[in-house]
Amino acid sequence: MSGVLPASNGSVLSIQGLSVSSKDRTILDRIDLDFGPRSLTAVVGPSGCGKTTLVRTLNRMVELTPGLSVEGSVLYLGQDIYESGIDPVLVRRRIGMVFQRPTVFPMSVFENAAFGLRLIHESEEEIDRAVREALTRSGLWDEVKGDLNRSAFSLSGGQQQRLCIARALAVRPKVLLLDEPTSALDPAATQRIEATMQRLKEEIVLVLVTHNVGQAARVSDRVAFLHSGRLIEVGPTADILERPRNPLTVQFITGRFE
Amino acid sequence: MATNEGPNERIDPADDLRRGETWGLRWRTGFDRWMGLLLPLLFAVAILPIADLVYFISAKAVPTLSWHVVTSYSDYQAHDTLGVPLMTTFLFMALATSIAVVLGLFGGIAAAEFLPERAAGWVRMSANLLAGMPSVIVGYFGYFAFVLYFGWGLSFIAGVFTLAFFMTPYVYRTADLAFSSIPRPIREAAYGSGAKPVQYILRVGAPIAFPQILTGVFLAMAIGVGETAPIILTTQPGLLVPSTVFQPAVFMTYLIWTGFSQPAGSVALTLAYQAAFFIIVVVLALNIVVRVVAGRFRKRLQGLYQ
Repeated sequence: MSGVLPASNGSVLSIQGLSVSSKDRTILDRIDLDFGPRSLTAVVGPSGCGKTTLVRTLNRMVELTPGLSVEGSVLYLGQDIYESGIDPVLVRRRIGMVFQRPTVFPMSVFENAAFGLRLIHESEEEIDRAVREALTRSGLWDEVKGDLNRSAFSLSGGQQQRLCIARALAVRPKVLLLDEPTSALDPAATQRIEATMQRLKEEIVLVLVTHNVGQAARVSDRVAFLHSGRLIEVGPTADILERPRNPLTVQFITGRFE
Repeated sequence: MATNEGPNERIDPADDLRRGETWGLRWRTGFDRWMGLLLPLLFAVAILPIADLVYFISAKAVPTLSWHVVTSYSDYQAHDTLGVPLMTTFLFMALATSIAVVLGLFGGIAAAEFLPERAAGWVRMSANLLAGMPSVIVGYFGYFAFVLYFGWGLSFIAGVFTLAFFMTPYVYRTADLAFSSIPRPIREAAYGSGAKPVQYILRVGAPIAFPQILTGVFLAMAIGVGETAPIILTTQPGLLVPSTVFQPAVFMTYLIWTGFSQPAGSVALTLAYQAAFFIIVVVLALNIVVRVVAGRFRKRLQGLYQ
């Protein structure tokens, strides 16, 4: 298939009847969820509810964990990313990912940001342009522009995480998955990442996994609440957090889980 | 008076920090003190024979060495020179190391990154088995496989391959370990950035795994250069540097093996001391170089996600 494929219902990413199971248990149970353009959806839920697994199915990272089987489909602009003939490498270049703790590579700041671009053999001028752009979008540019050749390890944890965001943004993905990106950071660094997320949601689709209801309230447009592998409730952030309908959601946001 | 707990007042037994001062505590501190003295002594007991050996060999070998002895490529037995054994040993090691590095590296990366869990387990087990195999057994394997079955005869190339097989598991084990111990999030971040497996290995994995792999290669070389059995069972000692790979060639350790029982003052015994001296120098140098180089690389990796 080639050419531009119109999304079926205007969503960029659409999960349809998705189940993930390991040998002895079901991790995700028949999930349906759509992600529209320029949105930030927070996936919340207690530990072990499957929220990390959910975002990992969105760019086929789940396949790196042996022993998990995936059923159902995830449509990216109308194409099922699990169909045969789909290259997971291309999927991950369109749907980027940021992890719980900063995962900078042992190279300079510039090379970290350029990592994805080097993989696709971009020209030097293009790499230079895209790295500047990505570092600006991730909110790190002003802090590193003086010396892009310093080791990425010399940055603070929060800066490293924003460098990881820049690395993901450099290949200009349409979707960015953030798996508890601030869980290893102090409040000041967390706040800067949240500001970055708020800016980015005006441009691309963000999916944020968090166990922090306050963070979901601060940055997201929409909240999806997951419990024991089931999608319990999804809706605009204010609705879910202020007027939850399901008792499980009430329990979670009033802090009676974890 | 108010309740004042002076030194002689009664206090809660749980607060009495001296109640542990019993035979047990005294024994513990005493043991600690004596061990602190005994361990350096034991270290000296272990290191002295080695130091003595190095001194003894050096004292015998160094006075007999000259520029001419190490650079003359004439028949080493007739002229009492070391040029030929040095050169052939270098060739043996260079080729065997290259083969072992290729095999070990590919095997290690395959087991760590590509093979399914069970297959990787089998590879690991057979490598450990091979590493624990006495060198004389590996020598016999080389004799039957390369000398007889492949028909290479007792030749330089048969020795090279046998030595390479002997060295491969050491390289393999460190390569496997180095790649398996790369933090999972780093690996996932590379794949998550859209890296293909080969791109991950070359751009992210290799720089992280390099110091450890280098250590393994140098360790394999240090073990290989001191081996005797894999070579003497597969290669006929030659008096000159071989001009084709199917010719006989001499390995350093052969000189020790044949020379050590010869009468004092004989050419063979002198050669044995000289050969032993060079092997010691090479092994020491490999150990020092690996520490310096790996240490430098490790410094660059400080701060990596743990």
